[in-house]
Amino acid sequence: MQNVTTSAESTESDLISRAQRGDRQAFGELVYRYREGVVNVVYRMCGDSNLAEDAAQEAFIRAWQHLPGYRPESPFRNWVYRIATNAALDVLRREKETVNIEGISLIATSAGPEAAAESDERARRVQEAILALPPASRVVLILREYEGLSYKEMTETLGIPIGTVMSRLNYARTRLREMLATYLEAQ
Amino acid sequence: MNEHVTRWLDAYHDGELSGRRLQQVEEHLAGCEACRAELEALSALSSLLQESLPIENLMQPERFVAQVGLQLPRRPERTALQQALETGWRLIPVGLLGTWAFVQTLFVLVTGLFLAQSIPLGQTMLASIIPPGSGVSWLDELECFTGSNNLIQAALCTLGHGGPLGWAVTLSLIVLVSIGLLYWSWLASWWLRQAKQPARLEQNHTI
Repeated sequence: MQNVTTSAESTESDLISRAQRGDRQAFGELVYRYREGVVNVVYRMCGDSNLAEDAAQEAFIRAWQHLPGYRPESPFRNWVYRIATNAALDVLRREKETVNIEGISLIATSAGPEAAAESDERARRVQEAILALPPASRVVLILREYEGLSYKEMTETLGIPIGTVMSRLNYARTRLREMLATYLEAQ
Repeated sequence: MNEHVTRWLDAYHDGELSGRRLQQVEEHLAGCEACRAELEALSALSSLLQESLPIENLMQPERFVAQVGLQLPRRPERTALQQALETGWRLIPVGLLGTWAFVQTLFVLVTGLFLAQSIPLGQTMLASIIPPGSGVSWLDELECFTGSNNLIQAALCTLGHGGPLGWAVTLSLIVLVSIGLLYWSWLASWWLRQAKQPARLEQNHTI
């Protein structure tokens, strides 16, 4: 696991197949490749970088445990994202949904309101608004807006019909437009 | 003015529409200021969302990977036999299809052979293959077979004569039904395995 490389020497399918056979180094390369996306999804879900890294690690451990059952019919990324979103939801549940959005460790605001730039304040409000969404709608919004997944990919990732993806996304955007109306009007 | 296309605007904004629906939305947008304003609001929201704070204080990728590696539980490696069984299981439909094709071909050949009875040359050829006086009335069987409306009727009728044609028809029928049952069983088990893949979001998050 230590000698992680990002080279394209090994194709993804090769890495997956080796990891399925128990090759930890191959799995390490997969973790390296998908770490950023997974951490990003989980962070947007729970809004705390420490929690996000814990949940991301948990997601990769679950992925390792269930890798022999992975079928290449759906892309590996979608499979990992599904595990990651479930891990994030579990973390949120463990924290009893008490991830206090007022107390989230947002470094940019630590200098105090006077020193905080307007853009940082806006970014903080955006983050708060996302965290105020119900988890089911939040995850759809995150996968679409931050990870760029198509509707079809989201149906595979979340295991929900495309109609549900569309309605949750619409709900999330409508709520965000209400919550962020001040900033949207100013644009 | 056509009906507003608000319900399709998210999908349009995300580039998910195509064909006639896309054309319909674009035509409507060209003439509807309200829907254009909605679309602009969606774009503005997307831009605003990109302004959310970057993730800070994350550990280095190598350290992250190492930490995951340290926590990975032992997992028994899959043996060659397990892998072979898995591959074999996935090839079952191909095998069934091959068997089906083989049985069908055999059946067509046998049928052709008996149909040859109806022409003198065929009778001569069959007589050289099958010894005379075997007690089987080929023509009776043939007549029975060609006069039937379906395979089951043909099987019952020809079997009644106790000849090889009857057995051939019956056997092929049994094999085809068995192949069908096996295929559906495999399909059902495949579906069950798929359903056991990572848990769905709304259900219990076991993975």
